[in-house]
Order: sequence, then C-alpha cells, then structure tokens
Amino acid sequence: MTVGDLYIQNLVVEYSSGGYAVRPIDGLDLDVAAGSLAILLGPSGCGKTTLLSCLGGILRPTSGAIKFGDVDVTTLDARGLSAYRRDKVGIVFQAFNLVPSLTALENVMVPMHGAGMSRRAAHARAEELLTRVNLQDRMTHRPADLSGGQQQRVAVARAIALDPPLILADEPTAHLDFIQVEEILRLIRELASGDRMVVVATHDSRILPLADRIVELVPELATTNRPPEWMELEAGAVLFEQGTMGDLIYVLAGGECDIVRQLPGGGEELLKVVKPGDYFGEIGPLFNLPRSATVRARTDATVIGYTVTEFRERLGAGGARDLIEHRPLSMD
Amino acid sequence: MLMAALRDMQWRKRRFVIAVLSTAIIFAMTLVLTGLANGFRVEAAKTVDALGVDVFLVKAGASGPFVGATPFAPVDLGRIAASPGVIAAAPIVYAGGTVTVGDATRNADLFGAPERGPGMPAVSEGRPPSTPDEVAVSSTIGRHVGDDVEIASRTLHIVGIVENSTALANLPNIFLTTEGAQQLVYGGQPLVASIGLRGTPAEVPAGYRAVDRDGAIADLLRPLKVAVNSITIVAVMLWIVAALVVGSVIYLSALERLRDFAVFKAIGVPTRNIAAGLALQAIVVALLAALVGAVLSLALGPLFPMQVIVPTYAFVALPVIAVVIGLMASATGLRRAVAVDPAIAFGGP
Repeated sequence: MTVGDLYIQNLVVEYSSGGYAVRPIDGLDLDVAAGSLAILLGPSGCGKTTLLSCLGGILRPTSGAIKFGDVDVTTLDARGLSAYRRDKVGIVFQAFNLVPSLTALENVMVPMHGAGMSRRAAHARAEELLTRVNLQDRMTHRPADLSGGQQQRVAVARAIALDPPLILADEPTAHLDFIQVEEILRLIRELASGDRMVVVATHDSRILPLADRIVELVPELATTNRPPEWMELEAGAVLFEQGTMGDLIYVLAGGECDIVRQLPGGGEELLKVVKPGDYFGEIGPLFNLPRSATVRARTDATVIGYTVTEFRERLGAGGARDLIEHRPLSMD
Repeated sequence: MLMAALRDMQWRKRRFVIAVLSTAIIFAMTLVLTGLANGFRVEAAKTVDALGVDVFLVKAGASGPFVGATPFAPVDLGRIAASPGVIAAAPIVYAGGTVTVGDATRNADLFGAPERGPGMPAVSEGRPPSTPDEVAVSSTIGRHVGDDVEIASRTLHIVGIVENSTALANLPNIFLTTEGAQQLVYGGQPLVASIGLRGTPAEVPAGYRAVDRDGAIADLLRPLKVAVNSITIVAVMLWIVAALVVGSVIYLSALERLRDFAVFKAIGVPTRNIAAGLALQAIVVALLAALVGAVLSLALGPLFPMQVIVPTYAFVALPVIAVVIGLMASATGLRRAVAVDPAIAFGGP
C-alpha cells in the first residue's frame, strides 16, 4: 500500500432503526489507489453516504478497518478523528452546506481558521482558490446571492483549502442543472490528480465516465423475465436473507414460512407466519432494494418465485398498485 | 470561528438588537434599583455627616440615636462635656413629623440641636435657627428664607436653607433649636434622643452607650430595611430575567446553526473553537446590553421621586456580572452546539 491509498476491509455499519438492526454496509472490502476518482454508485439508502461518513472520520463503523495511507482511521480517538478530518479530508456536501452569514471568501477561510492559519494567509489562500474555481468576481457574495453551481464551486474550494489528500463528495450534482453539472464534473475530475483521491457518492449516472473506479454498493440485478420457479424447502431452510438483493416475488403454495427481522446486537423478531396462498418479498424486487427481512421455512414448504413482470400479470388489472398495497392474491 | 460568530450576529442583527435592548432595559432597571437602595444610604450618611457629631450617646440598653431612640433627660450633659476627649457636647432631639407647606402636608424628619452645634448642619442660605420659633429646612421642601411652615400645628419661621438634606427615602429634614424641637416633640419637656459629642470620649460614661456615625446611619436606615431587602430581591429577579433573555437568544442561535456547527465539525474545526464562537456571542450581547443599560439608567434615574445614586462599583461590576451570567445562561446552547453530530452535515437541505 502506498501513501494515499485507501484500504477498506470487512467494513460493517449497523444501526438501530425502529427497533430493528439495519446494516447499510455489511462486509465491504475495497481498495482504491491514490490519485483515483472512485464513484460509489447505488440507489438511495444503499449506504453511500454512510460509507462516506466512515471514510471522512465522521461515523465509526461497527467493525472492520479503514486505512488511508498510513492512518488507521478506525482506531483514532475523537481528537485524532478531528485532526484527521482537518488534515486529510475535504468534503463537498450534497446541500453545499455553506454558512449563510459568511461570504464566499469567508466560507473558504473557515477550515483554515480551524487549522490555526493566520487571517492574512487564509485570506490570500481563499482568494487563490476561488480564482481557481472561476469565482474571482463573486468572493464577497453570500451563498444566497450565488447560483447552485457557484455555491458548489465555493464548497469545492473550501474542501481543498488545506490541500487534503482525500476529497469526499456526496451527491455533488444533486441540486444542479445540466450546465452547472458540467462545471462541477470538470472540477471534480481535476481534483483527482497527483496523490489526491476523490471519492464521489452518487446515483447520477452522468458522472460515471469520469471515474477511474466504480463501486456499486448494491449491484443491479440483471432481471430477465422467466417462467415461475417452484422450490421445495425443508423445515428450517432459508429462502432469502435480510439485506440481500433478489428479483423474485414469492407465493407460498404449501407449508408455512417465518418472516423474521434481525434485532440490534443479535437475535431476531418474528414479523409474520406466512400461510399458503400468501405472497411476500415484493418490495425489494419492485424498487431494487435489499430484502428487509429474512424468510425461513417453518415446516416443509413449497414456494413459487415470480419475476416482477410475471407477478404483475398474475395480479391482473390492479397491477403495481395492488402489489404495493399487498392486496390478497386471487388463487384462481 | 470568532469571525463566523460575529458574522452570524450581523446576519441576524435584528434579533440580537432586540436581545440587547431587552437585556439593556433589564440591566438599567437593575442599576436603578441598586441606585435607589444606595440612595437611601447616601442620604442617611449625608444627613449624619452634616450634623457634625462624632459620637452619639444614648441610654444603655436603648437603640438610637434617631429612629429607635428612647428619650431621656440630659442630666449628665455638663459632666460628659467636661470628660476627657470630648470637645463639645449637645442635646440632640429627633422625631418623625409632618410639615405643611401651602395646602400640602408631607412627612419630614425633625432634628433639634443647639444653634452652633454639634448637631446643627451648615446652611447654604440664611442662618441656623436660634429661637424655638425658627427653623432651617431642606432645599427640597421648596421654601425660601422668610417663609413660614406649619409643623405639628405650630407656625415656624424659616431662617435658613440646608442644601438637599433628606433622609428616609427623600423625606425633607427640618432643623430646629433643641428647645424648639422639645416643644414640638415632647410637649416642652427637657428630653433628648441622644447627646451628640464632638471628639472621642476616653471612655463611655456609665449608663450610656456610644453610637458612632456608622451606627447612626444604620439606625436612620432601619425603617427602610424591608424596602431595601425587597428591592434587592427584585434586582436578583431582574438578573435572572436578563440571564434568561441572553440564554434563550444564544440557545435559539445555537439551534438554528446546528447544521453550520455540524459542517464545522465535519471539516475538522475543533469543538472548542465552535464553543468559543457561541460564547463570544453571549459576551457581546451581555457587554452591549450592559453598556446600553448603563446609559439608560442615567436617563431613568431622574424620573424617580427618590434619590437614585448608582454607585460607581455597580457600573464596573455590571459588565463583569453580565458576562458571567451571559455565559452561564448560554451553557445550554453551548452544550447543544458541542454535542452536535457532524453527520448532520450530510444529506439534503
């Protein structure tokens, strides 16, 4: 591993939501070389921002290791994390997050003040950076007087104020029109040079051509329409696990199945016992989301797996609406 | 982060101006109340000092020499006057009474003492009274030399004016001869409230108790003790209200800036810098409020029908106490800012 390389091993982030354990990141391994532009791709809720928070030393993972260059981020204490954020990381936020009462120049000066730089030096450096992002004539404007693209450029200038080796960008194009997006994309690409690594979290596919490395946090399932699949399950067999992806909606033809959800710190809660004729597992395939629960056969059981297209046809005229509202299935 | 804190105050200047003015009014009222309590003491001290008496002798076991005095016959006056350390001794009479000026009757403090003292203050106009029918009156009574005043159904002739002489919450002082006061207060009996001494007696005569000027001032203030205590309670309550105003403004400011604080933390600004910025806001609000409050108190003081004499130490102590209270009151906001999770910075607007 060279200086500035990013190394993630078996990263797990688990938190409690509504009393249940949620693992937006579960066993992630990743290596990114210094000077790369890596894009974390995936739909909302797949853990992109969570991963960025971990990389930025803002969120402590539940387990696993993050090493950036010679820094083992996961072992740092609070003071060490603050120094790591200041010296090693620059962050471009989705909502720009400029301080509304400060001018563009003053916003860029904030991290430099935090690092103890003199006012004069911080002022000169902020002018240089804003000139670099073509905002030399907007330095004394407050964020409210700047367009979205200009605000994001100020945010980029702020992120590189202390010349950090790692830049994290969270949905940097989320609130920009296509003209502004072009400016920001060019800027982000320029940032990933020399030893500086840029990690961008996005679901905006327009960014993909920029990337040296694309990390799909939730792989898209190549769903092809196919006939229903019949499966025989022995008692205790797991049909699918919570947090995994799947493209089939299941109808129980015989026997019984348990739908269980994992609890924080281990254990699980029984949500429902599925009876013959009932269907389950429809939301994940429909919205390309991970399974929100585990399904295990309570007795020997028979299930039929349908693709979304097949299942809609099975539902009839009600289609997607019936599916989302989990209307009872006609057993004709 | 001090720059960010000051810019935030400019950004939300209307709110901070309102907070400063509200707090300033409270500080001004606090200063005025302090000035009122101090005014009681100052006028009592001025009155006692003007009498030119170093030691008051009252009967042993009695209080006095004014409000709590027990009248006695000054049979030992000659012997006391001749005792070592005593330069002069005089029979002093004191009583509360009323004075009628024109159609208005008001309370007054009546003092009786020999024309040349001790016990007779210097007059700013005219001369001290020399007969039982003559009086010197405080200038605050609004009368002149040559006028008459009616005291306890007797008409007395004003021969002298004593400048701004009041006691017991702005009551005018009336000075008579000892005989004149005895006729008004004791029906002509030769009784006194105390024997006023100039000089320091080598020893207190048997059967008497010596009261120095501080003791005399405390005696003259005794009727106002409840009022002073009440004023002190109100002043403390005002301090609390001021603290709540400053604290709530800083707390609201902290709540509205949580995302800013989260961003600061996320980009590595030390937590202590964030707290220092918020503390600076509390200090600025408190100091500005103290300054405006001090000016306001000078304007409000003359509106009161009593003497409002704000002691210098109060003007010095106000900003110090204001800053301390401001910081204490802002503790909740500070805690909120310090505890903010930098992860808030992520996510949409």
